[in-house]
Amino acid sequence: MSSKIKQEKWDIGAAKKLFQEFLKKGIKDEKKQIKLPEHTVKIDELDRELTLDRINNLTDSLIEMIYKTGRPAIRLPSRTSANIIWDEKNDLLLLGQQIMEKQFHSLASVVDITRLMKVLEKINELLIKDLHATKREIFYSAVQLFKDQKYSDKCIEDVATMLYTTRNSTHIVASAKGSCIGRLRIRDKNDIIDLEGLGSGGWTISPMLDNIEIIESDAEFILVLEKDAAMIRLAEARFWRKYPCIILTAKGAADIATRMFLKRISKELKLPVFSLVDSDPYGHYIHSVYLRGSKRLSYESPFLATPDIKLLGVLTRDLEKYKIPNDCRIPMNQTDIKRTKELLNEGFVKKNKEWETDLKLALKLKVKAEIQALSAFGFEFLTDQYIPEKLTTGDWI
Amino acid sequence: MKIFDKKDGGIVQLIDKEKMKEWPIELPLIFIEYIRNNQLKTYEGSKLKKEIEQYLDEILKDIAIPGLIKVLDGDDFEETNKALVRIDELAKKKIDLVKPIKPYVEKLVKKDNKEIRKLSNSILESFAKAERRKKLAEKRKIMQEREKEFLAGNISGEEYAKARKDYLILKE
Repeated sequence: MSSKIKQEKWDIGAAKKLFQEFLKKGIKDEKKQIKLPEHTVKIDELDRELTLDRINNLTDSLIEMIYKTGRPAIRLPSRTSANIIWDEKNDLLLLGQQIMEKQFHSLASVVDITRLMKVLEKINELLIKDLHATKREIFYSAVQLFKDQKYSDKCIEDVATMLYTTRNSTHIVASAKGSCIGRLRIRDKNDIIDLEGLGSGGWTISPMLDNIEIIESDAEFILVLEKDAAMIRLAEARFWRKYPCIILTAKGAADIATRMFLKRISKELKLPVFSLVDSDPYGHYIHSVYLRGSKRLSYESPFLATPDIKLLGVLTRDLEKYKIPNDCRIPMNQTDIKRTKELLNEGFVKKNKEWETDLKLALKLKVKAEIQALSAFGFEFLTDQYIPEKLTTGDWI
Repeated sequence: MKIFDKKDGGIVQLIDKEKMKEWPIELPLIFIEYIRNNQLKTYEGSKLKKEIEQYLDEILKDIAIPGLIKVLDGDDFEETNKALVRIDELAKKKIDLVKPIKPYVEKLVKKDNKEIRKLSNSILESFAKAERRKKLAEKRKIMQEREKEFLAGNISGEEYAKARKDYLILKE
């Protein structure tokens, strides 16, 4: 396939207009807090001292229960799907107010409680020493007790909800996964890091985000990429030099650190965010996780979701618009069809008519395509035409 | 974030100086130096550059210097020591940055603590070296002029030799 790149000068006018709107709105909303519905649980992002305070209060209340009744129990918000609520106003998945109780004296819950207390003990140690640990390290701190990492992971999430705080506040972090590049300068403790000067790999998004601070930027938008391959293409083209932006990727599914970092930069810098994912239900799901959070971590949604994120592409309608060759389109399998139908049943998709239409079109055509399919028109098509044209015309959802 | 408008409708955002109050004491100076040396030249328009320069001066005046002085003037030897280690490193790299705190370092030379005296002397030595470098540069300029004048026959051999001697003494 020959190169199809138009030699046009894209002014990314629509993106710039959105940037001005976000800037005005951001300055106005800076002091406003998100108002959560009354029937949902409020989670706080805490510093080290305050998290330690909550642990101390919890242990004090347990000791008191032991003295008074001899039958201590822990009460924490239930994380079952029945207790996950979609807050339409803020476009967030949140935790409802159903409470579950874990009894210390019950044979059925004794293992669970012991594991929970071990995790609490480890968190206390991390906070006192001002250290961070990965979920894997927590598992290895008591292999005999946890047996499998899935149990220690579950306890970590339970402890965070029990303390009504985010997982990051407990100093338990996921391994570094995402990367970021572009017009941004940050501080990581005593070091100043220039995200334009780290080569084509960019900066690995630190899971210890409490050490990170934004110090300078002249970006006008943020681009979130599903795939590392697209990141390499944009990094090689030094895309941010021509179009002032910050680019980041979680290299697939969005991890906590990447989502939290995205939320932080978009909020503090008041910048619009665009996502570029594969034209398939998995890509659209990844976009939805950035948009309104995941069900598993719904209690942290206000700290992880970016409700204003726009789906830039690759849209099903783009396949026709850009005449993506048939041999670059992939037929949908049964799982794809099932996932697309599931997405169409989600309230946040039903609310967004353009998104619903695009997913319905995918179901009708029964095709999907990867971002890389655009390179059928030349390696530079993505950076020199597809993205700039969309940012100029406002062709996003 | 503190927002500065660009001519093309874009913006430059710099961290609010209030947030820097929580930073390690030497970091505001490093930040100022970093923005001056690396970012300022990338911003277009003299008005924008001037506004950012003014903001950096404000940070220097309101945050960086008072932070350092507070520690150096205090009674906590451990904190003073830590601050002096950082100032010593900065002084060796970029003496101009730490110039405003020279009077406070001069006072510290008289303290009883051996480590504090050693570090303060090291910082003052950096100031002395910088001063010598400055004088040497001035003398070198004069020397070059004298050389030209001597070669043109405008000054005597004696005058040239005197200038050369002054220059060499300073160099040693």
